[in-house]
Amino acid sequence: MNEKIKHKTTKVIIFFALVILTISNLYPLLFVFLNSLKTRPEYLTKPFNLPNLDQLAWGNYVTMISQFQILKLFRNTLIISVLTIILLLTFGIVASYAFSKIKFIGREVIYFLIISSMFVPVQVTIIPIYMMFSKIHLVNTYWSVVFTYLGMFLSEAILLMTATFRGIPDGIIEAAELEGAGYFDILRYVIVPMGRPAIVLCIIYYFIVTWNDLFTPLILLTDMESRTVMVALASLISRYSGDPTFQFAGLFLAAIPAILVYAIFQKFIIKGIGEGSTR
Amino acid sequence: MKAVVKSNFRKKKAIQGILSILPTIIILLFMRFYPIGEAIYRSFTNWNGLYQNDWVGFQNYIDIFTNSPFWTLLRNSFVLLISVPFQIVIGLIIAVLLYEEVAGWKFFRAIVYVPQIISAVIIGYLFRIAFGLNGPVNFILRKIGLQFMNIEWLGNSASALFVLVFCLTWFSIGWQAIVILGGMAKLPPSILESANLDGADFWQRTFLVIVPMISRTIEYGAIMSIVWTFTGTFAFIYSITYGGPGYETTTIDYMIYTKFYQASANYGFATALAVILLIIILILTFIEMRFTNKASEWE
Repeated sequence: MNEKIKHKTTKVIIFFALVILTISNLYPLLFVFLNSLKTRPEYLTKPFNLPNLDQLAWGNYVTMISQFQILKLFRNTLIISVLTIILLLTFGIVASYAFSKIKFIGREVIYFLIISSMFVPVQVTIIPIYMMFSKIHLVNTYWSVVFTYLGMFLSEAILLMTATFRGIPDGIIEAAELEGAGYFDILRYVIVPMGRPAIVLCIIYYFIVTWNDLFTPLILLTDMESRTVMVALASLISRYSGDPTFQFAGLFLAAIPAILVYAIFQKFIIKGIGEGSTR
Repeated sequence: MKAVVKSNFRKKKAIQGILSILPTIIILLFMRFYPIGEAIYRSFTNWNGLYQNDWVGFQNYIDIFTNSPFWTLLRNSFVLLISVPFQIVIGLIIAVLLYEEVAGWKFFRAIVYVPQIISAVIIGYLFRIAFGLNGPVNFILRKIGLQFMNIEWLGNSASALFVLVFCLTWFSIGWQAIVILGGMAKLPPSILESANLDGADFWQRTFLVIVPMISRTIEYGAIMSIVWTFTGTFAFIYSITYGGPGYETTTIDYMIYTKFYQASANYGFATALAVILLIIILILTFIEMRFTNKASEWE
């Protein structure tokens, strides 16, 4: 009896500890949202109060969309993320298929070389990449960022997908080949459906990473037309004189897409991280 | 006849295999291997991105070690590493709490990871606002009578580094917790059941029973976080302190950016810094691989 009560108390304590953690993780976003609906003087005097419900400062959002043109920035970022993911998967899936299921000379050596390039940080390569793109006039284009991302993420994605594809039984592929299935049939009907968990994880993870990234687009996209939302926000918030509540509106809007994707697909991410595949 | 068919089939497969990896190889040659080689070569020149490109031997490296804020940069990276043990200990406690599977634990598990989903630009700006002279932190400190702590947090070296360490810890706890929870999930549940958690023994069980069993996972989390501290903190520093005051919160990776954007660009110097960063990362990766090999020997 006593044991049971003790056990129950423990569970309640744990529950409340986790509630505190939830507040610590979500409060910053709530703070941004609530203060984005205030006027500047209201924020400076009462940062922790609820905004004045009779006069919510929706104007911050209107200006964000009409003058800061945050939707255009969203479009730029989305184009870069989607192009990156499409190419990453196209090249990554065929390469992982080859590394996991097709025998050819030098396979292990090439695989090792590709995977070992994973650890090289982008800061090491960015200056030569910038000079290379500026020679062929690709600086300030989406492609410059997309190809830099491919260089950064291909080996990681291949590591993840090859590990998953290895789990597909050879018998299935051989049986399909005996029935006359060609290279692309096997990819389409065997590899992609059976490797789905790894592929979905790649899509979600790299969407979040590319959406949030600052360093690469900051270097490669310098003109106002092509820059991503994080680059534009970084330059907006670097002006100390700026209106903080207006900046909050931008930050809140920019956080939404990644959080939305995470909210829908968090199961895949948690599983992927727990199995030690990404950071 | 049959043998010929079979060998033709093998040949065809081998060609398919090579064609499959060709796009990846081409991309990595241009986007990884060539730039790495180029960075190493240019680090021995006084390249300014335009016409000036003379071989200067080790001059850039000598300049870095003797006549630059390099040691301050290195100190800053090491100070930021203070965040790693905090991440691991707090992440471990959270993982153990989640493992108990109290009501709503799946929701809590999802929430734990949320900071990782928010862009560093957003988190960094929030920390800068929070620790600003008229920001919420000072607002609270004044309200509760700690006037003497009402300082310009980002205005001096020690407190600015403290804010960064605090921020990186907050950001990384969830990642560590999920990694450790993943490690615990691989253990047979019966071992952990005997270590079920109540009352005074919580700390003993966490650190004396659970930690030794998941030491591999903790090593992995620690090394990944150390590597990340050297290479992944750019956006945080950019949005919280700009590396300042002076170079007091600049790290090596941030300095590469600074040198790249300076009017009198010295790309030779910047690429030499990049090569030093690369060597640090290679050493850390090598240590991680040693750990991995050791682990597979045990299995």
